[in-house]
Amino acid sequence: MAETTAPAMAPARPALDETLLAALAAAAGDESGGLTRRLAAQVRYEAAETPSRVRHLWRFTDPARLLPMNLTAVTGAPGDVSHTLAPSVAGAAATIDLWPGLPPVVALSDDLPAGQLTVVSAGETAGSPALAADELFAALNEAAWNTGIGLAVADGARLPGPIHVRVHASAAASLPRLRLVVGRNAEAMLVEQHLDGGPETRVTGHTAITVGDGSRVRHAIVQVWGQGTNGHLSVSTKAGADADVLTVFGVFGGDEAKLEVRTDLAGKGSRSEIVGVTLVTGKQHGDVHTTHRHLAEHTSSRIDFKAVAAEHARSTYTGLIRIEDQAHHCEAYQENRNLLLSDRARADAIPELEIHNQEVSCSHGATIAPVDPEQLFYLASRGLEHGEAVSLVVGGFLENTMAKLPDDVRTMAEAFVGPRLAAIREGSA
Amino acid sequence: MSDALLNPANPANVFACRNLHVFVKDGDQEKEIVRGVDLTVQRGQKHALMGPNGSGKSTLAAALMGHPSYRVEGEIWLNGERVDALEPHERARRGMFLSFQYPVAVPGVTVANFLRASLAARRGTEIPVRAFRQELNEAFATMGIDPSFITRYLNDGFSGGEKKKLEILQMLLLKPAFSLLDETDSGLDIDALKVVSDGINQASGPDNGLLLVTHYQRILNHVQPDVVHVFMSGRLVRTGGMELVTALEERGYDWLTDEAAVAEGSRT
Repeated sequence: MAETTAPAMAPARPALDETLLAALAAAAGDESGGLTRRLAAQVRYEAAETPSRVRHLWRFTDPARLLPMNLTAVTGAPGDVSHTLAPSVAGAAATIDLWPGLPPVVALSDDLPAGQLTVVSAGETAGSPALAADELFAALNEAAWNTGIGLAVADGARLPGPIHVRVHASAAASLPRLRLVVGRNAEAMLVEQHLDGGPETRVTGHTAITVGDGSRVRHAIVQVWGQGTNGHLSVSTKAGADADVLTVFGVFGGDEAKLEVRTDLAGKGSRSEIVGVTLVTGKQHGDVHTTHRHLAEHTSSRIDFKAVAAEHARSTYTGLIRIEDQAHHCEAYQENRNLLLSDRARADAIPELEIHNQEVSCSHGATIAPVDPEQLFYLASRGLEHGEAVSLVVGGFLENTMAKLPDDVRTMAEAFVGPRLAAIREGSA
Repeated sequence: MSDALLNPANPANVFACRNLHVFVKDGDQEKEIVRGVDLTVQRGQKHALMGPNGSGKSTLAAALMGHPSYRVEGEIWLNGERVDALEPHERARRGMFLSFQYPVAVPGVTVANFLRASLAARRGTEIPVRAFRQELNEAFATMGIDPSFITRYLNDGFSGGEKKKLEILQMLLLKPAFSLLDETDSGLDIDALKVVSDGINQASGPDNGLLLVTHYQRILNHVQPDVVHVFMSGRLVRTGGMELVTALEERGYDWLTDEAAVAEGSRT
């Protein structure tokens, strides 16, 4: 690809100091001892190099445009949660709102048996997945998160419903942090919704999930930021032996948004599936990275990512499958399909495989294509107008991926995809 | 045919084309595939268009429907109205229908959703769910298609026969004024051919017309045409009745090639 990258200029990073970090910790309700961790992270943040734009991970997106412009100790106030894009999740075991500058607002269901779900440190990093986000963003979030919660699911617990977290990008610099620790032989679902945000909003978010042996976790992350918001979200998950993890993502909102999803298959026999959908229009720039790292034998992973880019929008994808030398008898599959709705829309797909042993089955596929004119002619010959035909084809393109989503998550994604398909139908997208 | 009936605007004619030429891009040049066709289909008539491979039959059918790959010169009339400047979806809404030789798959779009959208477009009004379902069930029964197909994705993984049955099912539902059936018989076994032919006959009536494009006699034994045309090298070289079909079965197209050449020679 004839992409040229300018020599990376050092981006203006927001400055951190102890007074600020202490104020951020206090406002977010961080535990005592949190400040020590934050100060250590500050040192790493200041030492971290600006991500190289020569490497695939940042080739298409300028990290400087995603960083907060400046950091202050915001004191948040809860806002309106009756937003149409923030539907409540039916039968949620817990509903949590994260507002920058405020401690988490937690509502537990009466159906939740005592001891199944407990609040733990959000800032703790011991035992967290080793595959962290890009160091600059990871250290910034660790040092300066201004809203967050840690949750632990007990061994053997079966939560009666999903944990629903609404993460509000309500401050100019929003730095949410989520941590979920699932014990052994437990079942849990986390629905993480990133919403709000307006002009000049910047988000640096991180979610760390540890899945104990034999547990089943479903995690959904749906980003529906408002116009003008840029941000970087990262998810790191570690799957224990025989654990079963499904990660679902939807990237729809904001102006420039990068999402990194990394899953470590750390325990023998663990399985991970990542399913994602992006629909970008206007001048939106969506950037998605996934990593599946196989560290143990008999592990399997699948990725299915579908992207639709309309108008001048651009969707980029980099996906890494890494199979370590001791991880024999693994299976890995990665699929990325991109549909372009205009001559000016762009999509990039870079699959990367790093395989360090021979006893694996690994494959990938990527396509980038405009809507098939023969499909449109067929639909036109049945009376369908151009916009209607395109919206049908796009809906169909996303359908078999959307069908894999848990119902609640699908509803959430459709709340965003539906109006965009309608705009295509009316010819305004 | 009387002079009045030669007028494409005559309400007795459901379809007509005049001096139709179809061009396709060929590198920097244009290639003429259809080289001046005049055709008139009266209400209640079935016409067959026969011709060898590569004669341009499918191009003619797709161009009449308005396929964007072709540049068309000449006139196309539907129900007494010029439609050659209209978009394909506008022609469809006015009652033109094309049964595709190779219907394309649209993954992720269910047959039910597609049919509902098509019907709404053709009728200009949304169809109530209950009425739609009943109509659908009847059409599925007529075409011998398993009702479970309504939840399948459009033509996705369908066999050749299933695709062709679904094309004719659409003809039954959309009730077109004029249907272009492009090799609807190809790839069908004897049983499927019977079902498809019965469907075409059921969809045909005194108010509509059709043009059946085919290589073979066998479908014409089920769907009896009123008029048979032979199409070669982009032109109608002979028009007649069923006797022409018999002659083609016995003698092939070669004898017409010679006559077409003679006709061409006499024209210049």
